[in-house]
Amino acid sequence: MTATDPSSPRTSPRPVDGEGKISLTLRVNGSAERVRARPNHTLLEVLRNELHLTGPREGCGVGMCGACTVLVDGRPVSSCLLPAALAEDHELTTIEGLEGPNGELHPIQEAYVEHTGFQCSYCTPGFILATKALLEECPDVTRDEAKAYLAGNLCRCGSYVKILDSVMDARDRVRG
Amino acid sequence: MRGSLVFYHPTTLQEAIGLLGEHGEEAKVVAGSTALTILMRQRLIAPSVLVSIGAIPGLDGIEERDGAIRIGAMVRHRDVELSELVRARVPVLAETFGVVANVRVRNAATVGGVLAESDYASDPPAVFVALDAEIEVRGPGGERTIPARDFFVAFYETALEPNEIVTAIRIPIPVTGSGTAYHKFVSRSSEDRPCVGVAALVHLASDGTCADLRVAVGAAAETPQRFPNVEALAVGQTLTPELTGRIGDAYADAIDTLDDMRGSAWYRTEMVRVWVGRAIETATDAAADRSAPG
Ligand SMILES: Cc1cc2nc3c(=O)[nH]c(=O)nc-3n(C[C@H](O)[C@H](O)[C@H](O)COP(=O)(O)OP(=O)(O)OC[C@H]3O[C@@H](n4cnc5c(N)ncnc54)[C@H](O)[C@@H]3O)c2cc1C
Repeated sequence: MTATDPSSPRTSPRPVDGEGKISLTLRVNGSAERVRARPNHTLLEVLRNELHLTGPREGCGVGMCGACTVLVDGRPVSSCLLPAALAEDHELTTIEGLEGPNGELHPIQEAYVEHTGFQCSYCTPGFILATKALLEECPDVTRDEAKAYLAGNLCRCGSYVKILDSVMDARDRVRG
Repeated sequence: MRGSLVFYHPTTLQEAIGLLGEHGEEAKVVAGSTALTILMRQRLIAPSVLVSIGAIPGLDGIEERDGAIRIGAMVRHRDVELSELVRARVPVLAETFGVVANVRVRNAATVGGVLAESDYASDPPAVFVALDAEIEVRGPGGERTIPARDFFVAFYETALEPNEIVTAIRIPIPVTGSGTAYHKFVSRSSEDRPCVGVAALVHLASDGTCADLRVAVGAAAETPQRFPNVEALAVGQTLTPELTGRIGDAYADAIDTLDDMRGSAWYRTEMVRVWVGRAIETATDAAADRSAPG
């Protein structure tokens, strides 16, 4: 909870409005967004349905596939498992937050385009965000390390070889 | 998960414990929510009150104290995996947390969560039991400590009383001359939960014989399985392949293995036999490396 929030529910519950919704402030892609959501809504539901950020997708719905990956304070998590009420006070990044001010692609996105690291692209936002976190943690990552790190992101088209090509190229672009 | 639900974000343990007392069966603690969200969506549970413990200070540290590593309940799996302190002092713990699920789950799932969840197919519990870890809990009556071997009681059942909260776990640092290992055997995909997981600690005496052996097998039965009478077979002996084989056989005989989609009871028994032996061998090699001069 933000310390400035007068309704800070510590021993009192979070207030619920007439529609059974709570109000939340989420910091998404650098801006503070005030939304109303049911207390049991996941971050994925709020991003897609309230904020219309459709980059994160629902795949398995149980944390296994990575299609709903969002960076929370720079770390990839499954937004399908995270209650939106627990996502306040964190910096959230979706794929929409990667582009530059004039819509330029991020170097990691360019690498994926260059190597066609996708077919249907359902899994792509998750892969790109996971790649971003990986390269921040490990700028000199090897192909084998990338393989291990990304093992939990599933691509049902089976584009893994090209995805790994993209990651290696992204490493070189980001490292400069 | 569409019933009415109320969130609380207490900032002290007393408040959290009070809320659990006030709402009784209706209330659940929420930490990383990686297990809870799925249980609610599948309607296996339908709490009407969630008490988040993420805003309570003091639950998120990793420190060395009195010969043990103490890890707070809100520490994420990924932070145990990457902790320099854990890697230096109890490397097997960092390795084990590093093989849980995928990086996204490890970034969210907490140490208190994996304990309180008591899922038979989790990785860390076997290591906690093998290393004689102790769990610190706080309830209305104050604080108490529960040995890991008494903590996991049955399927999804722990020794926690209603409205008790896990606050930390203490893992004794293995003595010099000991080696440890955790072998996670998966039968489906690389990031699956274990079919069988075996944690072992071997302490070698200066003459190379075994001074202490501890073996805990996870995911094979309702709770991590450890047999001191079998471990005792190794004490004072040289850990030959013949002896580790006998210990593997004894564990395979002793465990009433379960059936699930990761393996039948028969298959699990055979995997216990194989992986107990391998874990002891890896731990023995690690102990020999550590006690080697220079
Ligand atoms: C896709 C996927 C794959 C997985 N694979 C593995 C695997 O390979 N190996 C493995 O070991 N595990 C695996 N897990 C399990 C995962 O590690 C657990 O879901 C996680 O440890 C639970 O922690 P949490 O903080 O998210 O708990 P939560 O979901 O927040 O809570 C779980 C339970 O514990 C209670 N609780 C939480 N914290 C406390 C506390 N401090 N005191 C008292 N009660 C508390 C809650 O009330 C709830 O009943 C996997 C999970 C997923 C979703």
